[in-house]
Amino acid sequence: MRPENYEAQRQPPSYDYELNIGPNHPGIEGNYAFKLRLNGDRVIAGRADAGYLHRGFEKLMEGRLWIQNLAITPRICVPDPVPMEVSYCLAVEDLCGLVVPERAQWLRVMQLELSRIAAHLFIFGGHAATTGMYTPMFWGIADRDLILDLFEEMTGGRVYHIYNIPGGVRRDLPDGFGERVTNTLDYLESRLPDYDNLLFTNQVFVHRARGCGPISQQQALEWGVTGPNLRATGLKFDVRRDDPYLVYDQLEFEIPTEAPGDAWARALVRRREIKESIRIIRQVVARLPTLAGPIRCPIPNPLAWNVPAGSTYTRVESSKGELAWYVVSDGGERPYRTHVRGPSQMHAVQVLEQLAIGCRIEDVAQIMFSLDACPPEVDR
Amino acid sequence: MTHIDQVPTPGAPLPVEIGVKAGAARTNPFARVFDELVRFAQSRSLFMLHYCTGCGAVELPPAMTSRFDMERLGIQPMVSPRQADILLITGYVSVKTLKRVILTYEQMNSPKYVIGICSCTVNGGMYWQSYATAKKLNDYMPVDIYIAGCMPRPEAVIEGLRGLIENIRTGRADAWKDYYRRYDYYLGNQQRLFGADWQTSTDVIAEARHYDLFGPATLGAHTALLEQHQRPLEALEMRIEIPELMRRRSRSDQDGTAQ
Amino acid sequence: MTNELTTWLDTLLAELDGIEVRRTSRRRLRVEVASDALPALLELLRGRASFVHLSAISCVDWIDAGQFELVYHCWSYEIQSLVSVHTRIPREPGVYISVYDIYTPAAFFERDIHEMFGVWFEGSPDLSRFILTEWDGPPPMRKDFDSEAWVNQHFGWQDYHPDWLKDLEARGGGIAVPPNEQRFSRRTVDET
Repeated sequence: MRPENYEAQRQPPSYDYELNIGPNHPGIEGNYAFKLRLNGDRVIAGRADAGYLHRGFEKLMEGRLWIQNLAITPRICVPDPVPMEVSYCLAVEDLCGLVVPERAQWLRVMQLELSRIAAHLFIFGGHAATTGMYTPMFWGIADRDLILDLFEEMTGGRVYHIYNIPGGVRRDLPDGFGERVTNTLDYLESRLPDYDNLLFTNQVFVHRARGCGPISQQQALEWGVTGPNLRATGLKFDVRRDDPYLVYDQLEFEIPTEAPGDAWARALVRRREIKESIRIIRQVVARLPTLAGPIRCPIPNPLAWNVPAGSTYTRVESSKGELAWYVVSDGGERPYRTHVRGPSQMHAVQVLEQLAIGCRIEDVAQIMFSLDACPPEVDR
Repeated sequence: MTHIDQVPTPGAPLPVEIGVKAGAARTNPFARVFDELVRFAQSRSLFMLHYCTGCGAVELPPAMTSRFDMERLGIQPMVSPRQADILLITGYVSVKTLKRVILTYEQMNSPKYVIGICSCTVNGGMYWQSYATAKKLNDYMPVDIYIAGCMPRPEAVIEGLRGLIENIRTGRADAWKDYYRRYDYYLGNQQRLFGADWQTSTDVIAEARHYDLFGPATLGAHTALLEQHQRPLEALEMRIEIPELMRRRSRSDQDGTAQ
Repeated sequence: MTNELTTWLDTLLAELDGIEVRRTSRRRLRVEVASDALPALLELLRGRASFVHLSAISCVDWIDAGQFELVYHCWSYEIQSLVSVHTRIPREPGVYISVYDIYTPAAFFERDIHEMFGVWFEGSPDLSRFILTEWDGPPPMRKDFDSEAWVNQHFGWQDYHPDWLKDLEARGGGIAVPPNEQRFSRRTVDET
């Protein structure tokens, strides 16, 4: 019997009511609130309420030295912090005209892709949990921890690394690290069929996710959707390929796309991106032994570093979409203005408000997780 | 909102005599045994409120799931504040969050414990010059244990929780009593930040009397200010009206008057 | 690709006066335009040159010049190039026109800039408060807002110089920091 035929349907209609999801709610991603106007369990309108994680990053960075800001940039996006520090470093390098040694660029690519896999595993578990399946969440988080162990060995930090500095990276890989990365990648790759069996061919998940929160390609372009959510609508766009930074133009990788643009397609794009990231890291591991040389270029005394005046806009592809920094220098030892454009600024606010209309109340959490919205990026 | 100058600055913490009141002397010889048993049971069954206030929350999923497995210590996440024992403040609290955190804290049933995770709850951390984040959590609510680090590893989180368990078992984790004993101090700090018309839906003073924790520092200049501005709490109006139900209710009322 | 871009640029330059174009790298173009010509330029970029993606709107407070600089970053999926359109508006009264009818994502950025800088965008769909709903100070991203002074006025600092440490110092131990060098300790308490 379908829910539409329940007895309650014949009851006289009740009035609309309002419901707050969050900030203290297990169905919301992070510290974020979403106000819903409902009729029955059908959403009439949704309204995002952000600011619970506001720290005023852009103001903080104006008051600190260029090198000090490295420590706070990864904090802007907690599950996927590496693209933040890399893009900030790219901006400073662009302003100063620094040329990063090739080995450092490959190391950065390795770190970026490991971070992408970790973020995708995290959101994979979260998305499964919103459909009532907790085993994938346990698996995803446990497998993500293996990558965090690699990070710890590579950079010294589990979650926040601060591995990049303008002009290169802080330190080289430890001995035998490539082998351990390969082992972990082998393990992760062997887990992917398990994930497929557990989640992606699970009829509960398929029926919940198919047709949930669909975005057409035209809507995606109009609303400023980027990243895996854009690729799930069938548009083959990736900053790594179309606006290449670091050494992505020397790497071979596919850009997975799906046509339907719903929650199912978005999850599937992420699932296939994990495989592509594994492929990229394997190429980096194979290439690194042939690249001798320094891991950073000489920079001026960082405590008295006057970056030449100018402005730059650097973009990278984070696991959530297009991430960009607009950095302005007036020739001083502190940034005059920094502005970060996080992909979730679109996904968690306008897109979520649009997609919530007409869906059922239990799907709101799933839509939010399938968009991979990251509240600290919105609040900054 | 009232201007900041109108809010009196909270003074230095008053020395309050802490201890069991004279009238509450135990007569039951088994009271001590029973207390220990209760404390042991409390320390082994802790429900942690599921509220991710800051970036430290990202280390909680590993701590809760299979790798570090907090559940072997008897700690589980709980979604509603009424049933929760522990309020984890995972990282910086912005002013907007702090209001919700205080509301949540006051809704929790005693005994309740607050753990401040990450350096930001201790002294503001790296956001010391940020206009939006509170610097010192124990200005606004009593904190049982701080876990420093940016961010602390899951092992550190679990170590801190074990410290809390030990404190509960030995009866030392009584910071929540301080909120009732020195409510005026905490309320003063809250008013200083949120404005003089700050009011929560919980009647803390009545609760202090209920728990027998009403002391000389419970009331003061700030609670007087609160009473001055306080709007009486009103029962929520039921807005969903079902006509048939209304008709039936009015009919039964008429029947009642007829009889 | 480059040919396409140059032909497009030529037509653009022909249609609009008073714009200054500079290529900063292969895929980056910097355009400076007067504030009254900007909506027409964005209309052209979107309508004729396939710059359908508004990546961001950034605002810079040039307080010495008394101006706000607004930067519109537009990306074209076909030409694969990013155009940053710079324009300047006077700092007072800080009113400008919304580009929401051209780019839908502008709603978020304009709301954000309104909140952080106090710039009013005429025609923007919603300029209500979003992040700073419980904020009664001036717009915090303006250069004349002193974050550190605000913090000292509103928050208490963790006491790094408690009494037990003073006792230790009197006996020659502890971390001796002279009172005038203590940056935050008890500063607010002493002043008020």
